[in-house]
Amino acid sequence: MPGLNTSLSIAVQALQAEQGALSVTANNISNVNTPGYSRQVAILNEAPTFQENTTTFGSGVTLDQFQSVRDQLLQLRLYEETQQQGNSQTQLNSLNQIEGMFSDPAQGVGGALSAFFNSLSQLSTNPTDANARQQVLTAGNNLANSFHQAVSGLGTIQSGLDQSVPQTVDQINRLTTQIAALNGQVAQMQGLGKDPGSTQDQRDELIRQLSALVNVSVTQTEHGLTLTTGNGVPLVVANQSFALQSGTNSSNVQDVFSAQGQDITSQIQGGQLGGTLQIRDQVIPQVFTQLNNLASQFATSFNTQHQAGFDAAGNAGQNFFNPLASPTNAAANFGVAITDPSLIAASSDGSAGSNGNLAPLLAIRDQQLPSGASPMNMYSNLVLQVGNFGANAQADVNASNLSVQQITDQRSAVSGVSLDEETTNMIRYQRAYEAGARVVTTVDSMFDTLMAMGVLT
Amino acid sequence: MRVNPDMSADVLAAIWNTQSQEDTALQQMSTGKRVNTPSDDPLAAAQMVGNQDQSNRTDQYLQNIDTLTSQLQTADGALSSVVQQLTQAITLGVQGTTGTLSAGNRQQIVQNLQGIQSQLVQLANTSIGGSFLFAGTATTAPPYALDSSSPSGVTYSGNSGTNTVQAADGLTLQTNLPGSQLFQNPGGDVFAAMQQLITSLQTGTATDAGNATNQLRSAFDFITGQRIFYGNAVNQLNSTQTFLQQEQVTLKSQANTLVGADLTKAATDLTRAQTAHDAALAAAAKILPTSLLDYLK
Repeated sequence: MPGLNTSLSIAVQALQAEQGALSVTANNISNVNTPGYSRQVAILNEAPTFQENTTTFGSGVTLDQFQSVRDQLLQLRLYEETQQQGNSQTQLNSLNQIEGMFSDPAQGVGGALSAFFNSLSQLSTNPTDANARQQVLTAGNNLANSFHQAVSGLGTIQSGLDQSVPQTVDQINRLTTQIAALNGQVAQMQGLGKDPGSTQDQRDELIRQLSALVNVSVTQTEHGLTLTTGNGVPLVVANQSFALQSGTNSSNVQDVFSAQGQDITSQIQGGQLGGTLQIRDQVIPQVFTQLNNLASQFATSFNTQHQAGFDAAGNAGQNFFNPLASPTNAAANFGVAITDPSLIAASSDGSAGSNGNLAPLLAIRDQQLPSGASPMNMYSNLVLQVGNFGANAQADVNASNLSVQQITDQRSAVSGVSLDEETTNMIRYQRAYEAGARVVTTVDSMFDTLMAMGVLT
Repeated sequence: MRVNPDMSADVLAAIWNTQSQEDTALQQMSTGKRVNTPSDDPLAAAQMVGNQDQSNRTDQYLQNIDTLTSQLQTADGALSSVVQQLTQAITLGVQGTTGTLSAGNRQQIVQNLQGIQSQLVQLANTSIGGSFLFAGTATTAPPYALDSSSPSGVTYSGNSGTNTVQAADGLTLQTNLPGSQLFQNPGGDVFAAMQQLITSLQTGTATDAGNATNQLRSAFDFITGQRIFYGNAVNQLNSTQTFLQQEQVTLKSQANTLVGADLTKAATDLTRAQTAHDAALAAAAKILPTSLLDYLK
């Protein structure tokens, strides 16, 4: 038969357990705004019972452990969507800059091309007019400038992206170092059967941050998590991290190398780094190619027709534009080859007043170039493509934002701290503590009674 | 069921969402454009490149028409003076054929005719902006000079070239007639007839002078006939101008359809976005501050 002492010790256990549980509530409340924090619950268990004769007696309560409430599957999906988000947001930022150069149809290469043809049309009404001839040269130079501006604008964006590669690689390495250290601790605690709690929260939050930078694939092993890039290059194994490296490649841009020195640039797809490389190595080169094709094909067919005519002195026409037979760097090298307006070969019969060669020159405006499209259509195709890139990236950003928000909601529904819940728990623990304390005072007064009996006796 | 206890992220997302709808509607209303960057509507942005080019062309065509009209009118004006001069020359030629003239009178007529001849040369050398209108395509130098050694009394240094100018898409227009075709045509040779009349009055018979006067008459008829070319060209330019002005309006309205904002819709969108934004804010204000703590004393 348990005595007063037993009741007292049970009550003291209760007081301790409720205090412990209250400390969980306090910790939850204080971390209500900590990113990645998973709420903890106090695991209370009945203390072992004991038997006397036929009666089983409870011996109170024990506070076994504090356990974090988390859903590992949601966490993995969060990493995945965060990669998407990082990737598409980075692409969108660059694409917004790129499409800014193609926003105004009256400006840029398209506007300058249109103005150049207009200047030829103007000259056709008076082929000996010195002003009109000068105007053609000016419009040709403006066209060259607009090509150069597009090239340098794209180049600036490209080199900005290039410079961000080593910075992102540094960030990745800093994160993987921290993750590896925490990963080791988590594995150790798990090995001892303990709940890694906030250590795991911190590690998972860092993996989430890492996902925003690069595509990470996560595998659970007995030594903790193994993190690799999407194509299997290890980043973190157990408590060890493998630093990526960045370095200049043969074309003078920054490539990404694995810790073993293997060039993995083309294999990186997700996250901010993947988005950066996608724009730097795919999108901008595509835009360059189209600009170069336009510059080369237009200059070539214009020159051919220009040479078929005669200048104001009756000599056969020269190249009007710098010859650009190869599309390589054609947009950057695009330029007017003549500086003397009288060298414009407007004439078809050798006399200065003939405008006979201007009509076929003007016809190039609507003629199919080797690409299969007219110069203006080549340019509008470029605008279409840049616009599509931007629109797709915007759609991706919207979709991944929504996914991240949904998963964050779901994750928060499982792991998030609810102040209402914590307040309720606080009241529960407080009341239980008060009751436990009352048991102590009751037992105390029972002892008094007992003592008084002794005194009386 | 446990739900996401932290609604602040969702509330913020909702507020940002309605705010960005407001921004979009406001931007459309302030710029009047639905497509401000290519990604707003890639196809429309690409089509706008063509529309802009077409609109530029149309502006240039209209400018060309102004220039050409003034060239053609100047040429036609010169020909009208040529016709006047020829009328005078014919009258003089008729006077010259009457047998009763004294040598002095003849001399007088010859001098008048020579004056007319040099007037005609001047008219045939009409230029605008340094470009000689009747020189074919050799427009940089005056095409006609008096030359008493030539049977026509003049030499022509122009050529028989013609220019055509595109006045609209699909409409090319010849813009000049070379002097050789106008003034020295086998169907009516102005200068040869003039020179023949002068020579016959100086050294020939009255019959010669009569023949020469008749040739002058056919030259007169020919020139009068050629003026129709200029009249037609100017008429064609006038009607093209009307067409192109119409085209400008069409292109503008096409551009508006492609990238212009529907202001009524934008205004409705703005109102709707404002309502949604107010609702999101009101909901946030109601939800965010409430907590069990408010009810515990």
